[in-house]
Amino acid sequence: METVNFVLCGLGGQGVLFMTKILAETALSKGIKVMGAETHGMAQRGGSVISHLRLGEVQSSLVRSGTAHFLLALDENEAYRYLPFLGRKGRLYVNADPGLFPRQEVRPYIKDKGITYHCLPATKEAVDLGAPMSSNLALAGFFSAFDEGPFSSGEIRETIERISPSRFRDFNLKVFDACHAIGRENMP
Amino acid sequence: MREQIFLGNEAIALGLLEGGCQVLTSYPGTPSSEILPGAVKLIRSEGLNTYTEWSTNEKVALDNAFAAAIAGKRAACCMKQVGLNVAADSLMSAAYLGTVGALVIISCDDPGPHSSQTEQDSRLMARLAKVPVLDPSTPEEARQMAAFALDLSEQFKVPVVLRPAIRVCHARQSISWERLQNNETKAAFEKDPTHWAATPRFRFLLHKELNKKLADMSRMFDKLERFNFHDLEEGKRYALGIIAGGVPYAVVRDIFKEGDRHDIPVLKIGTPYPFPERLAEEFLSACQKVLVIEETDSVIEYFLRDKQKVLGRLSGHVPLEGELIPDVIYNVINRTLKELSLDPLAEDLDTSGAELVSSLELPVRRPTLCPGCPHRASFFSIRKARPKAIFTSDIGCYTLGLNLGGVDTCLDMGAAITMASGFYQAFAQDGADQPIIATIGDSTFYHSGTAGLLNAVYNDARFVLVILDNEITAMTGMQPTPGLGVRADGSKGRAISLEQVVRGCGVEFLEIVDPYDIKAMTRVVKKAAEYVSDPNGGIAVIIARHPCVIAYRDQAIPERKELTVTEDCVECNLCIERFECPALYRDEKLGRTAINPVLCSGCGVCIDVCPKGAIVEVRKSDGNG
Repeated sequence: METVNFVLCGLGGQGVLFMTKILAETALSKGIKVMGAETHGMAQRGGSVISHLRLGEVQSSLVRSGTAHFLLALDENEAYRYLPFLGRKGRLYVNADPGLFPRQEVRPYIKDKGITYHCLPATKEAVDLGAPMSSNLALAGFFSAFDEGPFSSGEIRETIERISPSRFRDFNLKVFDACHAIGRENMP
Repeated sequence: MREQIFLGNEAIALGLLEGGCQVLTSYPGTPSSEILPGAVKLIRSEGLNTYTEWSTNEKVALDNAFAAAIAGKRAACCMKQVGLNVAADSLMSAAYLGTVGALVIISCDDPGPHSSQTEQDSRLMARLAKVPVLDPSTPEEARQMAAFALDLSEQFKVPVVLRPAIRVCHARQSISWERLQNNETKAAFEKDPTHWAATPRFRFLLHKELNKKLADMSRMFDKLERFNFHDLEEGKRYALGIIAGGVPYAVVRDIFKEGDRHDIPVLKIGTPYPFPERLAEEFLSACQKVLVIEETDSVIEYFLRDKQKVLGRLSGHVPLEGELIPDVIYNVINRTLKELSLDPLAEDLDTSGAELVSSLELPVRRPTLCPGCPHRASFFSIRKARPKAIFTSDIGCYTLGLNLGGVDTCLDMGAAITMASGFYQAFAQDGADQPIIATIGDSTFYHSGTAGLLNAVYNDARFVLVILDNEITAMTGMQPTPGLGVRADGSKGRAISLEQVVRGCGVEFLEIVDPYDIKAMTRVVKKAAEYVSDPNGGIAVIIARHPCVIAYRDQAIPERKELTVTEDCVECNLCIERFECPALYRDEKLGRTAINPVLCSGCGVCIDVCPKGAIVEVRKSDGNG
């Protein structure tokens, strides 16, 4: 399999690491080799959080700029900050208002690189579903609807069912399913 | 055989247990903190009898592991790179004394730095101590090296350093493993005072023995193909070769694989000290030039003899500071290839994205204390009581008190106290009356606070010391402190009373206060400052005790308050600037301060912060009435 590079980002406390874990465990369950890198310690306290996930036969854990296939961003500004990681024809999934994204100054760059982007107001969706801290599952559900990357939405869902702590399981699946449905409606 | 995703630190724990580690000690510090908990988890699931402990500091951890190792057991201790400074006294001596069983010291480096005071390179500490050091490139290799380090240590009777960098510690990789077995070696100590309590005369002989061991190991490392290898083709000559170790090796490999480049040979050095001299010589003789890529400092580069051929930090080809992330390594290789008129990798890295990002003026995300953090309340009260004091502080979450103007200095573990006494003596010498308030966390105080406090009391220094007691080691991921009386494996230990320790250091003024009560805390700080200025007074210690809001959510905030900002807000911004709670923000539409209900912890401390009384609790509807 060709290497697939993901960059996931957001703010401390938004659950970037859990979102990464969902994708990593899904890959592992399909027999794909997993390598990744995450943020701990001082950098985790409310700052900008980035996580790298590399699937396939690689030795290093960090994605080089211009080589990510997917960027999943739980915050609009963090999406801009880490945009240079995306390669040509990269895919961006971002927690942002579809009517307002992207900022004017960013449009030429996105067009020039052939980047495709999809927006979900994930925080709003999560709040409406009664789970304000679950924007990570909202974005994961939304991403899964587009059937991109080396796994299907059903496989991602199974992982969430398997690795969620039992008291959050039903809630996590509810948010995932609802935002998966929104993604399906958004499909071109 | 099972395949699982391991954090690098968990992979190290796995390797240690696969290598029969019987005693494992540690003091938490990023990026090393998950090794011991990773081991505890495996010990429990595999039914092993390995002893684990959170030691009070790194020197204590190393001494304890050393004793086990000279009693014939296999022992290891883990720490972050600056922790090895604390344990250096022990390491230097242990190198001479050697072991009977095995002693592995895991010192995790932090190029960047991401969560440390320095970017120091533990390989240089190993060289200074004259003990072997292993430098893994991936979690899988770290796991293998951990087990190998135990074997090597026992074979040569020498302590061995394993140096993973943060991108190994906090990388995740899928790893296959099998059931673990207990190591049943029993403790036995054969008395030999001329060795184990050697005086300087015998130390000379021990030094000689150590040098012999190092020469033997260097020869062994020449042939250690598992960790040291190259891909030279017999008889072929190359314009350029690359010598790399640790994380940079993995990056170099991936860059060449991706670019389908096979014309540049690579020598991987997994054992930078003692240096595999012959292997390096063989590689060097086949290349006209070699580019050395290693983290964080230069070690391999210094060991290469023919400097005419060597490109690296000393020649200005590799940056002297900062992490060697893939972008940096890509540029270093590409520039070198061009300089030598060789085919470049591809186009230069595209910088248009980085330029775009810097033009966007994105919000700077500085790390900040959590909503509801008791330290925030403490710093607010301390500043309110004595705004002109010098605020010495220490290592932990509370270093972030600098955002609130409550931290002026941060040197090393315990320096809040030692620098407070130092400042006091410097000003007192001139007859100046400079108020000084030191802040230190509970875990840091147990780590290295007492020696400084004893010194300060003994020499009659005058300052207020606030021990920020949140009953946990928070920054590094919620490890227990001696004050808690819970041990590394979750079993019950003996809790050490902070009050008794402080009193035992000869402190006569001691008050305990809940920092959530800003009025009470401010009063106590003022009272303490007055005691300090009184000719008959002394050092005043305040224990600001409130549980960490992350570790003990329900205990820290038993009743969450729903808060709002009323029209009395005059936009003085005191709460946003001086209290700096992430839940407080300026609402442009309302034209005043507002509270983000998702971020708000409901602690209610900000009610007492607002000088206009504009932050209030939302009245509960009388639904039950």
